[in-house]
Amino acid sequence: MSRLGVGGLLLAVAFPVLTGFHPYYLYLLGTGYLLASLASAWGLLAYAGQISFGHAAFFGLGAYTTALLALKLGVTPWLGILLAGGAGALGALPIGAAAHRLRGAYLALASLAYAEVLRVLALNWTGLTGGGAGLIGLPALRVGVELELARERAGGYYLSLAVLLVALAVFAGLRRTRVGLAWAAIREREERAQILGVSPTSYKLLAFACSGALTGLVGALYAHSVRFIEPDLVFGRYFSILPLIMATFGGLHTLLGPPAGALVLYLVSEFVFHPLLPRLHQLPYALALIGVVFALPRGLAGLIGRR
Amino acid sequence: MALLEGRGVAKRYGGLEALRGVEFAIEERQLVALIGPNGSGKTTLFQIVSGLVRPTAGEVRFRGVRITGRAPQAIARLGIGRTFQIARPFPDLTVLDNVLVGVTFGRAGRLGPAERRREALGGLELVGLGTKAGALASQLSLGELKRLELALALAARPGLLLLDELTSGLPPRGREEVIAFYARLRERGLTLFAIEHAFRPLLVHADRVLVLDRGELIADGPPAEVMASPRVAEAYLGEEDD
Repeated sequence: MSRLGVGGLLLAVAFPVLTGFHPYYLYLLGTGYLLASLASAWGLLAYAGQISFGHAAFFGLGAYTTALLALKLGVTPWLGILLAGGAGALGALPIGAAAHRLRGAYLALASLAYAEVLRVLALNWTGLTGGGAGLIGLPALRVGVELELARERAGGYYLSLAVLLVALAVFAGLRRTRVGLAWAAIREREERAQILGVSPTSYKLLAFACSGALTGLVGALYAHSVRFIEPDLVFGRYFSILPLIMATFGGLHTLLGPPAGALVLYLVSEFVFHPLLPRLHQLPYALALIGVVFALPRGLAGLIGRR
Repeated sequence: MALLEGRGVAKRYGGLEALRGVEFAIEERQLVALIGPNGSGKTTLFQIVSGLVRPTAGEVRFRGVRITGRAPQAIARLGIGRTFQIARPFPDLTVLDNVLVGVTFGRAGRLGPAERRREALGGLELVGLGTKAGALASQLSLGELKRLELALALAARPGLLLLDELTSGLPPRGREEVIAFYARLRERGLTLFAIEHAFRPLLVHADRVLVLDRGELIADGPPAEVMASPRVAEAYLGEEDD
């Protein structure tokens, strides 16, 4: 790991202490880590050459899975979050299967439609999901260790950080294996990959499952963090478009670009635009997308090497 | 038993008959040339053999097994490698990673990571790209791209190589080097089926030559015999051997 990486990690670990466990900052950065994981999940799929406009589908499936398990069956949120990861993976398989036939923009539009279908389903299946009124009163996560560090929101902060780091470690490992090589080959030239013996369908399914699992897990963590979910929020376009912009802004096909892009954009939006231009606090996302398209095709990663 | 066999292979694109009832058989350890005027169906035949295009009728057999209808990756894993007329490596991967794809998912895939890497580097040395292992494929010159095409096709340890105009765009000396390399590969036990537009250097080494004209196989035999055929001369009338 580079010095920059070690420095960043130490700073992240020490952050709660440095801010005197300020709950607002911890909440903000903790949410930033969740979005960074979401962007990484999206980026993992893009690494395999598959573009999704519908990650809210997997996010929402994760959120509803843990919410329903907790509220209807009394399942502990910790188990709920793990099962939400499974739900995200399973929910991603139909789109992964569609990727067998659909490419590029067609696949992206299919994923957008898929998220819309799930949103409408959640809106209308009132008996199960509460419909548009959503589900309230989700239990909060308890990091039950009586450590000084765990007071206020530090527990949630460290949990989000840990999820991000584990996800990045797994992704970094995968990139070095035959799976990562197959993903890159499919992304670069699918037909050539086939001629060299790669089966695109199974590796695409695996990419969708991995991305869906992490996204579902993040959706569940988010649900227990805000403790209220509704279809328009968790299945809405926000969680489909946000990871796309964050990952593209950070740098496609890189490991650290998507999470870095997510943190930069989210923090700029919250710290700079929210106080100064509250109605335009989503402007950085639009500007970032325009900037990437016109000036920075490789995103932030293009500015500082390629990792 | 022939290594590769075509039985009544036909391909129709709308009103165009790209191939009509093509019958051929290629024996092991031979270098066979596939020639014919532009648009005679040479590349279509390669597309069918490698599984990228389904024939309208007929079938292809490899080592006696029907491969028509199988996925390209399944055909590749049986031991058929190919190059493309326009070089198609993975542009954003390094030259070494390009070859590693072939090594990892081909018939050398059971090796450990270190051995796969060694095999890939060996393949790059073989085609004279040893010093370019760390470069991105998109940074290579045309000549280097052609070498990478060959390294990619060889990486999966194929028994049969389909070579689609690998020498086009190269200077005459470069062409002769590549063709001489084909002959060396044959000596190592490979079977080669090669399309060449400028075919004279290839015929020097070829054991046999097949000639396609407007989708039909019009000649099949030793080079000297085939080139003496009036039918072949007629097909090439007005074509320049560049």
